[in-house]
Amino acid sequence: MFLTRSEYDRGVSTFSPEGRLFQVEYSSEAIKLGSTAIGIATSHGIVLGVEKRITSTLLVSDSIEKIMEIDSHIGCAMSGLTADARSMVEHARVSAVSHNLYFDEPMAIESLTQSVCDLALRFGEGASGEEERLMSRPFGVALLIGGFDKLKGYQLYHAEPSGTFYQYKAKAIGSGSEGAQSELQNVYKNDLTLEQAEMIVLKILKQVMEEKLDSTNAQLCTITKETGYKVLSEEETKEIVDIIYEEEAAEKQRQEEEEDDDEDEDEDEDVDMN
Amino acid sequence: MMTGQHGSQPIQHQFNPYSDNGGTLLGIAGEDFAILASDTRQSVDYSINTRLSHKIKAISPSLTAEFKAQNPKMIGTKNSILFGTNGFSADGDALTRQFEENWKWYVHDQNKSAMSMQSAARNVQHLLYGKRFFPYYVHTIICGLDEEGKGCLYSFDPVGSYEREQCRVGGAGASLIMPFLDNQVNFKNQYIPGTNSTERRKVDYLSLDECLKLVKDAFTSVTERHITVGDGLEIFIIDKNGVRCEYHDLKKD
Amino acid sequence: MTGLSFDNHQRNQHLQSQHNVSFKTTSTGTTIVGIKFDNGVVIAADTRSTQGPIVADKNCEKLHRMAPKIWCAGAGTAADTEAVTQLIGSKLELQQLYTKREPRVVSSLQMLKQHLFKHQGHLGAYLIVAGVDPTGAHLFSVQAHGSTDVGYYQSLGSGSLAAMAVLESEYKMNMTKDEAIKLASDAIEAGIWNDLGSGSNVDVCVMEIGKDAQLLRNYRTPNVREVKEKSYKFARGTTGILRTEVIAEYEIDTSV
Repeated sequence: MFLTRSEYDRGVSTFSPEGRLFQVEYSSEAIKLGSTAIGIATSHGIVLGVEKRITSTLLVSDSIEKIMEIDSHIGCAMSGLTADARSMVEHARVSAVSHNLYFDEPMAIESLTQSVCDLALRFGEGASGEEERLMSRPFGVALLIGGFDKLKGYQLYHAEPSGTFYQYKAKAIGSGSEGAQSELQNVYKNDLTLEQAEMIVLKILKQVMEEKLDSTNAQLCTITKETGYKVLSEEETKEIVDIIYEEEAAEKQRQEEEEDDDEDEDEDEDVDMN
Repeated sequence: MMTGQHGSQPIQHQFNPYSDNGGTLLGIAGEDFAILASDTRQSVDYSINTRLSHKIKAISPSLTAEFKAQNPKMIGTKNSILFGTNGFSADGDALTRQFEENWKWYVHDQNKSAMSMQSAARNVQHLLYGKRFFPYYVHTIICGLDEEGKGCLYSFDPVGSYEREQCRVGGAGASLIMPFLDNQVNFKNQYIPGTNSTERRKVDYLSLDECLKLVKDAFTSVTERHITVGDGLEIFIIDKNGVRCEYHDLKKD
Repeated sequence: MTGLSFDNHQRNQHLQSQHNVSFKTTSTGTTIVGIKFDNGVVIAADTRSTQGPIVADKNCEKLHRMAPKIWCAGAGTAADTEAVTQLIGSKLELQQLYTKREPRVVSSLQMLKQHLFKHQGHLGAYLIVAGVDPTGAHLFSVQAHGSTDVGYYQSLGSGSLAAMAVLESEYKMNMTKDEAIKLASDAIEAGIWNDLGSGSNVDVCVMEIGKDAQLLRNYRTPNVREVKEKSYKFARGTTGILRTEVIAEYEIDTSV
């Protein structure tokens, strides 16, 4: 398989005979290696959540920044090569601020996402060698962009390195995305509250993370019409995490009691992803 | 010898990129409508270039067949922006076209059907300020309905300073008509009879009919006393039904 | 004191160089014409007077009488056309008394050009001089610097090109009085419509040999103002009375 590819995966602007751009496809692979990021759009606001991989006990968890503000009404979560996301977010911030300057209104979420994807698509620019190259390769990162605008209300978009984007009610990206996405599909309802969404994001992260979830290795943010973009503090995250563990403990106890009552019952299904 | 006369000083001749094309532009914002009017004379020095120039353009989303059938006299939807310029008409035309292009790109990029008045005003500011050191020599007035459906008017100086107002006159007749409008629209210097100039007459929205009368009287009057104003009067009216345009003759001397 | 006073010249020049002040004169940015016909001459003018782009007078008189049968149409600085016309007019009258002869148009023309030349163009008077005298009907024009022209038809002022266009296309020799009046009026109207410095009405003066000169004031009025849409009468008390003071009426005793 890789043998046949090797002929056509050198240049970013070369199609394979089957019509594929391998470098772009590889960039999607880079995202699959990244930490999980989840976003949910409710009718009350947007929740974005990420896992932080604390690879060392000496690592300061605050220094891992995978949720970023684009404008006061737009936030994003990322997965993949986070360094690449820096330049995407910077571009997005410039777009949002410029739009506000030129039109005296907050930028629409879809336009903002389009602007980011325009940048992502520029990996091919100058590949023919005639002009100076802007990028050496496609971005190795995907973004979940969420926010509120007057036109369409709360929206969540998934922006890929290929330059395409889709709108989602709920979306997971990164290494745990497969399990997380199917779980989102199970639990998503149109009338979710913001608090319920926060809980769902953390619960799913807990399920797909390799480390044990706590208030330092996961981060949440919310975007609402009223308060705009807000990152949950460690204390706020801890409150939710504590509830999750309490519920789990209560559930476990309830199960044990049930098992005591009728031991012939089979084991309760304990969802374990990944 | 008088200054500037031959012999006393050398005279340097220079190309002047601007000219004054005269005319007057007037806008009034009502409660649920706005009007923008201008004379149709375009002149330079003592000569008339045309008696039927258009200083105002209604920038509107394209009209559906259904809309046209229902409103045969309407030339724009209620989302339109009435864009008027007065001064150096070449610059006015250039500015109008640039804004129209921006409007169209905005509609495409933002997936919207039209631009809000607030956004339009900000955009015009940047078009004007972008030429801060070689300005568009125009007084610009834009009219429309705001996001609550209220009559809305913004006026601009040549380099982009702008303000939302109830009424404004620009161009040659500005100094003649503006005091009249201050008095008749905002009731300046009018007091309630019997209060001995202690209680001001309360300002209230004027009806469309009343506004149209003021506009016509303002233009026939300024035509009497200003040589660059005359020939015709074009009045654009925007309300919840859309945009329509009236034409009246003015004196042609 | 006779003649012009230059007392304030130095002060005014200082004012203009130090501050941005200018002295605006009322200009008759004008259309005037004169046409000879078989038995006389006719002159005509519009009635707009301007100060820059503002109309100062909607119905001013630009046809001046220098002698009962010598009339003058003036363009340029209103004060100059008026003053120079009156000055020469009075000189003509004195001359008439001295000589016991009717004043001649050529005399008035000579006096005008000498006076204007003397002032080197500083008097902004551009005139069409016409009249009948014992030698016949005459039509001339004078420029501010003192040069003069003779012709069967003349036009002057900012609307002169518009008027001349009409004259050049319509003039013919030996027209009747009525034809000449119509052509003169049409020429003035061309100025009224096409020149921004001219407007309002047409004044005409006909000078026919053997007859009294006839001033046809507002011969045409093609620019009557339409009635306003609205009455702007204020309710009494809209401007309040802040203070009342009664001043007694005094008889002024003029006896010594």
